[in-house]
Amino acid sequence: MDILVNFLRLVLLSMVPFVLAGQGTMLGGRTGVFNVAQEGIMLVGASLGFLVSYMTGSIFLGMVAAMASGALFGLALAYFTTNLKMDQFVIGLALFFIGIGLSTLLPKLVIGITLSPPLIPTLKDISIPLLSQIPVIGPIFFQQNILVYVSILVSIGLWYFLFRTQKGLEIRAVGEHPMTADSLGINTTSSRYWTTIVGGALIGLAGAYLPMVYTGTFTELMVMGRGWLAIALTFFGGWSPLPILFGSLFFSGVEVLAFRVQVIGSIVPYQFLIMLPYIATILVMIFTFGKSRVPSFLGKNYDREKRSV
Amino acid sequence: MEKENLLELKNVRKVFGQTVALDSVSFTLYPGEIHGLLGGNGAGKTTLMNVLYGLYRKDDGDIILKGEKVNVQGPRDAIKLGIGMVHQHFLQISNFTVLENIVLGTDVNNRYTMKLEDEAKKVEDLCKHFGLDVDLNATMDTLPVGTRQKVEILKALYRGVDILILDEPTTNLTPQEVDALFVSLRVMVNDGLSIVFITHKLREVLSVCDRITVLREGRNITSLVRENASEEIFVRAMVGESMDIKNSIYFSQGERKPVERGETNQPIFQMEDISLVNKDQVTLLKNISLTLHPGEILGISGVAGNGQRELAETVIGVKQPNQGKITLRGEEITEKTNEDLFKMGISYIPEDRLHDGFLPKANVAQNLILGYHRNKPYSDGTFINWKTVFKETRSQIKEYNIKTSGPDDIGGNLSGGNIQRVMIARAFSMPSDLMIAHNPTRGLDIPSMDFVYQKMLKRREDGFATLLISEDLDELLRMADRIAVIYRGEILGVLERDQFDKYAIGRLMSGIKDS
Repeated sequence: MDILVNFLRLVLLSMVPFVLAGQGTMLGGRTGVFNVAQEGIMLVGASLGFLVSYMTGSIFLGMVAAMASGALFGLALAYFTTNLKMDQFVIGLALFFIGIGLSTLLPKLVIGITLSPPLIPTLKDISIPLLSQIPVIGPIFFQQNILVYVSILVSIGLWYFLFRTQKGLEIRAVGEHPMTADSLGINTTSSRYWTTIVGGALIGLAGAYLPMVYTGTFTELMVMGRGWLAIALTFFGGWSPLPILFGSLFFSGVEVLAFRVQVIGSIVPYQFLIMLPYIATILVMIFTFGKSRVPSFLGKNYDREKRSV
Repeated sequence: MEKENLLELKNVRKVFGQTVALDSVSFTLYPGEIHGLLGGNGAGKTTLMNVLYGLYRKDDGDIILKGEKVNVQGPRDAIKLGIGMVHQHFLQISNFTVLENIVLGTDVNNRYTMKLEDEAKKVEDLCKHFGLDVDLNATMDTLPVGTRQKVEILKALYRGVDILILDEPTTNLTPQEVDALFVSLRVMVNDGLSIVFITHKLREVLSVCDRITVLREGRNITSLVRENASEEIFVRAMVGESMDIKNSIYFSQGERKPVERGETNQPIFQMEDISLVNKDQVTLLKNISLTLHPGEILGISGVAGNGQRELAETVIGVKQPNQGKITLRGEEITEKTNEDLFKMGISYIPEDRLHDGFLPKANVAQNLILGYHRNKPYSDGTFINWKTVFKETRSQIKEYNIKTSGPDDIGGNLSGGNIQRVMIARAFSMPSDLMIAHNPTRGLDIPSMDFVYQKMLKRREDGFATLLISEDLDELLRMADRIAVIYRGEILGVLERDQFDKYAIGRLMSGIKDS
């Protein structure tokens, strides 16, 4: 029983980067901007989040810095695709590579090379009074760090926003058929901008989670493909906040499982185990991909005066 | 007494790249009138109204509303000024409900928790008042085209517009639906609305409009009150001086000898009990049997999206039917691919010129032989004989009046109408026993349409068969010897030329079968 409770606790703990990056991707995608730079943005978020926490001693400031850097990447993506009408995929890949470079460069510039890794204190668990006392459910759901709660609230908030408010209806319209939205006086440009920027901030925060919860320090390429998995997760979740939240449990479940097997020590080589999440992804995608609904205008740029011949 | 103008467009100019779409066009609208904006394809009607609605930025000119000069930067400004527009290609979100589509972009009662009950009530009242019957909770993509049109009009009415622009509103409607629309328009005008009615169909403007403005090639031609003008004046204004109207097929339907179908005249082409099912097990074509005799034009009529495309693609071998048999001159061709069929003498004008018929990066000569490039005289079986190709295509460019600098011009430089001419030239210059023409005149101006009709009748005289699939009922009534009506992949009825009646066809188009 303890093993199961502990496992589920870890699954919830490890779902956070997937949830935040997935929701960030989804939000931009809902207006048609398909971000593929998650891996790079998360690396910058991890790197900068760690550095600012390390220099200022405040984890909160670290999070803010990570979100700001993600927002900046989102802004760049929005500008190049919405104003300059450049190919979203190409710009996304360019931003990804810039992200990798920046994330390794920054710590070297600021801290330099040290013998022992510089450390920051990791996020503490927050026990919710009373609720955390409930057996089984308490430790799984109510003794987690703050970002676990935040990621769940963000998911629910986004769902409410997209499907229960007028602004959300407009945002979804922009991603489905921007010409229609435009013809009804909805500002497609500003919609694309702010969703991509906020989405980028969420992805940046997802990156910062890794040093702040798992390791306490930044190591090169520490995101380890989670950014790419977030794209798969977004498709898996049909570009909807709640399915993405639940889908991320699956991705983190596989991750924790692979890690567990590795710790127990088995004849299965370590390299095979870290392949597992990706294999699982492909398998899941085979069965769900065709059926999941994608915003119709995903990945395209809108030009009001462009005449279709 | 001179009436007060509600709206005036003054010397509007709009240029797209190299093409002047509007050259100093002016337009006035009186309060409470239905004003027809008439012209062939490419006349600039839609462009002019898109400028008014703020979708296109004008390069020059003024918009004067109720005596004041206004600046329309985008649709948002237009809506604020009380201008609404129903676009020809509906601007709707297909996975939203009707109500969501209608309220989208307006300030719903409570921004933070959308309360749609009150709005639903308002829209229902509008529906009742104007005779537009729609289920507000239906998802858009489940609705037939006629209903989606009503939603588009409701969107404008809900915003409380004073001026309603309708861009080719009758394109996809059955004759019955057109009549109902015209009744609704009268109700709106009696309520104080002013309507701009864009169309290329002369008969429609004559029956519903109070005043008519004619545009041609981006210029004002004339503006007249309905009562003061005869049909001839408008015809001449639409087509220009050079066209021979008397001998045209577009404006006059001459007598013709019926096609003989019997022992002496064996069918060229037969489809027997053809069915097509897609991979989701949805039936696209159901038990279709059609016969074409030499010298016959068989028309296929139906509201867009009822299986016309699938029918064309099944005949041409792009799609393989799940059931049934197709024969050409007695030889079975059911399993043949389009490559074989082109060689056997079938020619094809696909519906979607940009996806299925044209390579924008290839040159005009290459586009003109596309699909037939394996046939003589273009090819000797192994190599393409470019000398012949260029010679042939140069004469085709001339004959079909394709506006291009020559056979080596890049296809993407051509305008939509000229691309359509390339497709026409390609199909008509190959000798073919059977031609499948799917909306062959889409995007062409009236003289060019007439040219295509002449060519098609020439084929008829020469004893070739043509399968004319068209969403333009007038075109079918003009051209076809028989009309078969397709509805949800099924042929509901076949009418002979002497039984042609557009209301009877309209009933079949909406799935009502007379028994």
